[in-house]
Amino acid sequence: MRSRFALAAVAGIAAAGLVLTGCSGTSGGTSTASSGKIDGTGKTLDVMIAANSLYPTQQQQWFKDVSAQFQKETGATVKFETFASANDELTKIQTSVLSGQGPDIYDLGTTFTPTAYSTGAFVKLSDADWAKVGGRDRFVPATLGISGPDKSNEVGIPFLSRPFVLAYNKDLLKAAGIDKPADTWDGLAEQAKKLTSGDVHGMAVAYADSFDPWKFVWAMAMQQGNTILDVKSKKATIDDAAVKKAYETYFGWLTDDKVVDPAAIGWKNAQAVAAFASGKAAFLPMVSSSSQVSLDKSPVAGKYAYAVMPTVPPGATKLPSDGKAAATIISGDNMVVAKYSKNQDLAFALVKMLTSTDNQVKYTKTFGDLPTNADAAKQIEQGNDLIAPILEAGTKAYGTPFTGAWGDTQLALVNVVVQSIPGLSAGKVSSSDLEAKLKAAQETAQNSLNKAK
Amino acid sequence: MSTETRALHAVSAPRSARALRPSGGPSADVTRLLPRPLLVAIIVVLLIVVLGPVLYMLFASVNSDVSVASGAFLPTELHLDNYLKVWSTVDLGTGLTNSVIICGAVAIVCAFLAVATAYVLVRYEFRGRLTFLRGLLGLQSIPGTLMLLPVFVLFSSTASLLGVQIIGTRWAVFITYLTFALPFSTWVMVTYLRGLPKALEEAARIDGASSWRILTQIVVPLSWPGIVVSGIFAFLLGWNDVLFASVLTSPESRTAAVALQVFGATQEGGAIPLYGQMMAASLICAVPVVVLYLVFQRYLIGGLTSGGVK
Amino acid sequence: MSNSTMTPPAGVVTTGASPAGSAPAGGRPGRRRRGERNRPLWMLLPGGILMLLIIVVPLVVAVLMSTLDLDQYTLQSWLQAPFIGLGNYVEAITASPLLRSIGISVSFAVIAAVVTMPIGLAAALATQNRFRGRALVRSLFLIPYVLPAFVVGTLWRTMLQPGGVVDSMLGAVGIHSGLWLNGPLSYWSLIIVQIWTSWPFFYLLVLAGLQSVDHEVHEAAAIDGATWWIKLRYVVLPYLRGPILLALIIAFLHNINAFTLPFVLFGVPAPQDVEVLPVVTYMTSFQSFRFGLSAAMAICSLILIAIPLFVYLRAVKLDSGEEEQR
Repeated sequence: MRSRFALAAVAGIAAAGLVLTGCSGTSGGTSTASSGKIDGTGKTLDVMIAANSLYPTQQQQWFKDVSAQFQKETGATVKFETFASANDELTKIQTSVLSGQGPDIYDLGTTFTPTAYSTGAFVKLSDADWAKVGGRDRFVPATLGISGPDKSNEVGIPFLSRPFVLAYNKDLLKAAGIDKPADTWDGLAEQAKKLTSGDVHGMAVAYADSFDPWKFVWAMAMQQGNTILDVKSKKATIDDAAVKKAYETYFGWLTDDKVVDPAAIGWKNAQAVAAFASGKAAFLPMVSSSSQVSLDKSPVAGKYAYAVMPTVPPGATKLPSDGKAAATIISGDNMVVAKYSKNQDLAFALVKMLTSTDNQVKYTKTFGDLPTNADAAKQIEQGNDLIAPILEAGTKAYGTPFTGAWGDTQLALVNVVVQSIPGLSAGKVSSSDLEAKLKAAQETAQNSLNKAK
Repeated sequence: MSTETRALHAVSAPRSARALRPSGGPSADVTRLLPRPLLVAIIVVLLIVVLGPVLYMLFASVNSDVSVASGAFLPTELHLDNYLKVWSTVDLGTGLTNSVIICGAVAIVCAFLAVATAYVLVRYEFRGRLTFLRGLLGLQSIPGTLMLLPVFVLFSSTASLLGVQIIGTRWAVFITYLTFALPFSTWVMVTYLRGLPKALEEAARIDGASSWRILTQIVVPLSWPGIVVSGIFAFLLGWNDVLFASVLTSPESRTAAVALQVFGATQEGGAIPLYGQMMAASLICAVPVVVLYLVFQRYLIGGLTSGGVK
Repeated sequence: MSNSTMTPPAGVVTTGASPAGSAPAGGRPGRRRRGERNRPLWMLLPGGILMLLIIVVPLVVAVLMSTLDLDQYTLQSWLQAPFIGLGNYVEAITASPLLRSIGISVSFAVIAAVVTMPIGLAAALATQNRFRGRALVRSLFLIPYVLPAFVVGTLWRTMLQPGGVVDSMLGAVGIHSGLWLNGPLSYWSLIIVQIWTSWPFFYLLVLAGLQSVDHEVHEAAAIDGATWWIKLRYVVLPYLRGPILLALIIAFLHNINAFTLPFVLFGVPAPQDVEVLPVVTYMTSFQSFRFGLSAAMAICSLILIAIPLFVYLRAVKLDSGEEEQR
């Protein structure tokens, strides 16, 4: 009897506790002086940021430096918590949103900003808030494109920029008499054909990667005027000729143009990079500045360069009138402040510090990611030929549709490739097969978009 | 036919508690279960199957990441410093320490809780016994992904109710792993205890010993193999878990499994994962378990060891 | 702890189980042991409380979540998410890949469990006797089981990639197998890798079971001149029935819920042939953020798996175990 009662009581308490947290509301920020310094003595800010496996010791040092600098400015210290992959961070966000407690600031990948926004758990920056982080004007305009659905509903403060570009092997191109990569997709394929001979292929493409494929499709579709999702009218436009052309081109490099290593159907991004790094491929599209680290340690060190990816869609020689010259998605990191944070103004102060010119320049010099601070970007550009194309690509970046349905859509786009791989390995993906898959992806995306609020 | 019946008779005859530890010589031959050539063949084949990929891991751990990415088997360059770098790339030292402490505690507590629970379940009758047993197995079938958010909510709400910090401490993962390991460990002990003869316990009961004394002084010493195996499973459940550890730990209480994740993280945009360091770190993380096993495996032998009876 | 021989009040029922409606002692004629007195049912409490709190209560919460339209938009105040009753369940069964993935998962789990069994059994039998280096061999055997699932996944993914180690070795003997990680072969790759990593599980359980075989039994069989096969089959295996049956069902359950291995081996989205259940629920929950739906899917699968589970238990009498007593 006693034991049964005890158990019921315990269970009841637990259940009651759960109910209490189900009604989490928002909490306010700290009260601060209207201007001037924030006083955060004795407080600690929790920041969640991606673990940098390329520069681990430097990152540890950076954590210490940031905390020390912030302490001098405000008296508060900064505690960093790292996550290994985007999935981990999303899980952490969900558990924190659910329980109403967790880090004050999240450093989010740009592609996940819409998802975080849709939870409603992050602070929408008012004009006053923007002032607290140093003002909207200090940022490179293109980087603000994925901060929110529109200007008055922004949650993301751009922190880092990692645009995608094409890497190419200078020696291989010179040997084939090519000056620089083409700026049309058709032209690029032609060049790749010239560069393919023996066991060297024109392009290294990672068909089995979980992330790369959709970016190609998106870029080519955008350039033809198709934005994949039309958020305003809540329509998905995957089942469309433009998207079909994008996939056909993407697959065609392997099946028709034969400029890609047949083994690429099983390649993740790492294998594609490895192929380029060992000199077996001339073009390596869809890389960012993070590739520098791997490439500088490889046989092609010093022999590669970056170029902006083509902005003219396949089947055309110039950009159509309704096309968008999307060289890359807006890629990088945004910082968001959680509504449940009890130190919101302090958090803004930290973001202001991290996005100041000096901090941004220093960060770029240490870690390679590009700055979002416009002044810092100008400073970096001087004298650095290697990353100049990356900076240029950053100015030609377009945001993916800002909706909570984008996660599903992205998955659906990749899924078309995943399910096509057996066909690719057999030599061809038929037109009807592709259409069927596009229809399925359309349905998934549309369902998700219908649920979006 | 008679061979079998006689053998079966021997089985059902009351046993004496003699030391079972097989020494070399004739008794070893007696307990051999397979003919020698078959035995050797099995061991060799299994060793090849097991060690082949492990050898690949070894080679990959000293190879360059680019090389591993392109699928090379033998190292093209030697990067022995990977074994040094792993300690600074992630806080592997803290991770390993936390993992060993947490999983060790889980293993010990779980094994003994399991013995106690199984003892009652096997030796005593009571209403609901079967339901309890079936329920235990049913609990085993619950997937982790279903439980993640509710468990997190449970901890955070209990924490705010009681005013203590649970999430981020070692206790959070300790309790979680302990509870998740219990159903299976209990079942292992149930199966094992069923095979133990009741003679000793009956004798002790007649002598007036309490259940607790019987449990601790007779049952436990006789069930070391079962306890060790239960403990191993409980240990490994916690050792390899990533899902719960990633949300329930803070940087100080991070486990090795979570720390390892950083190596495998694919970074979009052309950075090759640190394959070399990942393989090195994985091998390093396998060492404590193998060592612990080597230490405790003598308890796995012995069955009815002497010392159970006064 | 006091040496208590006090009788707990008659009729005390133990934790977790629902007393109402369960036939006393499984309906068997009362083979009373020890009598009703001296039942140390309190020993069930610590484990029982833990399991109730940490497993059953969250499970109830999960069931509650499955009746809500819980997604990224409503996560923040989850109790105020709209109640849609069985809506998620209907969607799970009709509109999601749930049924198909249950089929894939169950078949994969059964095959992997059944094939692993003889391997683990053979290993335990082979290392029964002392020989030089036995401790080392036994520890080496453990390694596949000890390695974390995502390491095993990455390891095999690198080995199975097109043009990787496995392909080169097979190519050297003239076999061209095609894609391992996508297409129809991917199902078999998953099974092979799962077998590689989980056979030590059987090995350990059987090892423990072997220790309960009394020395006299071995001697008697030897005196009788029983061949190794007869001795194995009629004398030793009956001892191992319990551990093997338990291991089979546990391995089955573990394989069904194994998430990390397929996730790392194949990535998401998964190729159609290996769209196993845990990956589907994970994707629904953590990538599509439809928690309510994913909870419903997991619970559906739980129910669908519980049925054969209990059928199995009764059929092999694993739960009662009376027939195994000697």
